[in-house]
Amino acid sequence: MANDEDYQYSSSDDDFPEQQYYEPLEHRDITNNILDDYEYLNYDTDSLESFNSDVDIVDGMAVSHVTNPNKKRSIEGAMVNLKYECFTTQDIFNNMLEKVDRLQPMFSIPREDIILLLQKYGWDEDRLLEDWTNKMDGLLIEAGIHINNEQKELPKSQRGISNRDFFTCPICCEDQIKETYSLECGHEYCISCYRHYIEDRLNKGNIITCMSCSLALKNTDIDELMNGPSSEKLMHSSIKSFVQKHNENYRWCPFTDCKCIVHIQDTTEFVEYIRLHYSPYVLCNESHRFCFSCSFEMHSPADCEITSSWIKKAKKESDNLNWVLSHTKECPKCSVNIEKNGGCNHMICSSCKYEFCWICNSDWKPHGSSFYQCTMYNNDELKTQTVIEDVSKTLKRYTFFYRMFNEHEVSAKLDWQLGQTVGNKIKSLQEKMGVSWIEGQFLTESLKILNEGRTALKWSFAVVFYSDSSHNLTKIFVDNQALLANSVEDLSALLQIKSPETIMEKKVEFYNKAGYVENRTYALMECGRELISKGIVKITN
Amino acid sequence: MASLPKRIIKETERLVSDPVPGITAEPHDDNLRYFSVTIEGPEGSPYEHGIFDLELFLPDDYPMESPKVRFLTKIYHPNIDRLGRICLDVLKTNWSPALQIRTVLLSIQALLASPNPNDPLANDVAEDWIKNETGAIATAKEWTQKYAQAKE
Ligand SMILES: [Zn+2]
Ligand SMILES: [Zn+2]
Ligand SMILES: [Zn+2]
Ligand SMILES: [Zn+2]
Ligand SMILES: [Zn+2]
Ligand SMILES: [Zn+2]
Repeated sequence: MANDEDYQYSSSDDDFPEQQYYEPLEHRDITNNILDDYEYLNYDTDSLESFNSDVDIVDGMAVSHVTNPNKKRSIEGAMVNLKYECFTTQDIFNNMLEKVDRLQPMFSIPREDIILLLQKYGWDEDRLLEDWTNKMDGLLIEAGIHINNEQKELPKSQRGISNRDFFTCPICCEDQIKETYSLECGHEYCISCYRHYIEDRLNKGNIITCMSCSLALKNTDIDELMNGPSSEKLMHSSIKSFVQKHNENYRWCPFTDCKCIVHIQDTTEFVEYIRLHYSPYVLCNESHRFCFSCSFEMHSPADCEITSSWIKKAKKESDNLNWVLSHTKECPKCSVNIEKNGGCNHMICSSCKYEFCWICNSDWKPHGSSFYQCTMYNNDELKTQTVIEDVSKTLKRYTFFYRMFNEHEVSAKLDWQLGQTVGNKIKSLQEKMGVSWIEGQFLTESLKILNEGRTALKWSFAVVFYSDSSHNLTKIFVDNQALLANSVEDLSALLQIKSPETIMEKKVEFYNKAGYVENRTYALMECGRELISKGIVKITN
Repeated sequence: MASLPKRIIKETERLVSDPVPGITAEPHDDNLRYFSVTIEGPEGSPYEHGIFDLELFLPDDYPMESPKVRFLTKIYHPNIDRLGRICLDVLKTNWSPALQIRTVLLSIQALLASPNPNDPLANDVAEDWIKNETGAIATAKEWTQKYAQAKE
């Protein structure tokens, strides 16, 4: 991944970083020709072939890259290699089963019983082995695998499911029960009570015992009783609590509905991360990038501290801020309701064709050359309003930044939806233009870069909120924000194109704009890190 | 109201026909899942001579789910908090559908006989109990005198 040079300048304290990263807005005329800015990327039509998809194996995890091989820096990796693995509960359970198979010769008891023992010991084989050598049979009774000495063992023929006439179940007290179940302890209940009892406990992950004594239900008993593979559910819950207990080394992917678990064996490296103001980002197998420290989505240029303060504040203020969450807006000219349908902030009213900016509601035209004017928090305006009390000033300031943050969150979501259509676009490229799958990947890749750019942009507003606005580096950061915002809007607009012919015509533009966004994202992150490491960011809630 | 499960009918009948010494439990006429309970303070405990009122409610999922029990009478006890909530394993993790109202009430009576300050619910009381047991017992007796006397 990254080499030393990539973050070398961050350790030199006083110099401002290279101009290449932090070039202020006024030095550039980005609308004229984006390509001019990016000679150093060497993106020309000839090099497009090198823009290939290759798969790296990083610590047993396949990471696919669709990047220019010349380009070394990547968003996740400007830091020492973070070694991690990504699992599902099924993977972890399979590992546990391997453990069981390894242990079986030592125990010489059935596999089901070893699973129960491991479950009792929270899947910690060392602790189990220690107790096993000391207690043996005692442990089997303790874990509910064998009945205790005072209990009388029910003959094998009478165990399991029985068909009865007029049995009265001690749980529901219904008589005339037909089907019952008993373990070797002889405690017998109707099937429906047993099922209800087990169903309630499957998601707790603990050993399920007989309702009247401590004899355990084995997975085979559970499956027989439930008439299906219900024990799988129990095992998954058990693995879940194992992961929770080992929260030092395991993290659930925080993305909705994602079942990935990331495991880091050695977290001592984190000290180095904190020292250099990096966050330990990991990528789950579903390509969700999140912070292993705070379990939040990737939040650079903000660090974990800024992130958690910002979230806390947002929760506190959310009632006052509901108005910013809307997805529709009236056209400032004709008041027709316009729904935002992609992440692009360049709005064109469907009725009067007025072009305006979603964020500031004003005419789009001046944005063309300096989009960021609208997102520039106007310090001068606030300075003149000395009448306003400090409290409302702070709130106003916060509201502004929250609004910006939220706009980009909404846009990110819309971009994501846009992504759902990208698959179809690629399909039609393949069908209509005879484009190969690999060749079509530039769309997917552009979308991914767009999303990361948006996310960085979004979190950058939290950074600016907590930054000393009078400091020069804050100004540079804001300029960088502007550059990223601009490039993100450009790329977002490009991704709205529907016609396959136009998409293919603009392939180079896709590469260039995506490459530009990627670089701006990186630059903003690095600038944020600088801001934080120089102590210009102060958290005051 | 949905018809009362056989299990609840049986338990209620038995609580009346074969009551537990020192404990009464009567269902309300308008809600047969809601019981008024009294427990006498166990002999030799700081709660001796006290009569404590409790409420007990059987949730829809009873007996799969444990009964909900709460002290109504103020009591100074490390495992019972200001709101009368009780820290007792059989009411929580160790509940089993094979247990009954009767067994729960017996467990509560036993809890009065042997408070367990190491598994506290009311932290301040538990602390007092550990640091100054004689003082805590005196307070418990005082509260019993003051709040847990038979009405009429
Ligand atoms: Zn039953
Ligand atoms: Zn049993
Ligand atoms: Zn994920
Ligand atoms: Zn974090
Ligand atoms: Zn309009
Ligand atoms: Zn604007």
